[in-house]
Amino acid sequence: MPRSVWKGPFVDGFLLQKADKVRSSKRNEVIRTWSRRSTILPQFVGLTFGVYNGRKFIPVLVTENMIGHKFGEFSPTRTFFGHGGDKKARRG
Amino acid sequence: MARVAGVNIPTQKRVEIALTYIHGIGRRTAKEICARLGIPASHRVQQLSDNEVLRIREMLDSEYRVEGDLRRDVAMNIKRLMDLGCYRGLRHRRGLPVRGQRTHTNARTRKGPAKPIAGKKKVTK
Repeated sequence: MPRSVWKGPFVDGFLLQKADKVRSSKRNEVIRTWSRRSTILPQFVGLTFGVYNGRKFIPVLVTENMIGHKFGEFSPTRTFFGHGGDKKARRG
Repeated sequence: MARVAGVNIPTQKRVEIALTYIHGIGRRTAKEICARLGIPASHRVQQLSDNEVLRIREMLDSEYRVEGDLRRDVAMNIKRLMDLGCYRGLRHRRGLPVRGQRTHTNARTRKGPAKPIAGKKKVTK
């Protein structure tokens, strides 16, 4: 079930402040964040976020299409190298 | 033979059922259409007047997304997820379940028929 509309999108507050700061500083630096649970808002478009996946910060350049998704969706937490044996190319 | 929404030619069934042969129309929408056009549930497609068929066609065209259009919409939505590089897109790309189901066992609908694992011995009695 989706989140109630009256609550508005969920974003960690510090992320908003950080985004504003980077915006006003005019330098496009990667905003490192652990807040995978935050929704991507329209004012984040064009900024680059380093989204932590438990090991490193995955750079995510936010585009218009990503609005409404969460940061965590763009930073996979698991690595799967396939099962041993079947050496034939599997990924399409 | 009544041709509605492009390719669909439902038969001598009741209108409410015949309409569900169209991709994107289920029982609920079919009922809704019949009710809005004032077609009794007992009527069969062959009993419909040309005018009624025309009105069904018009309603489908103007108010519902069916067949090719609907299929294209769905494909586009999936493509959007895949191009975005988000988790759901990755799952679509790999042909695995998208909504967090387990894949240790089952998930055969997405994964297709089970592939034999090389070198695994069959258990025999």
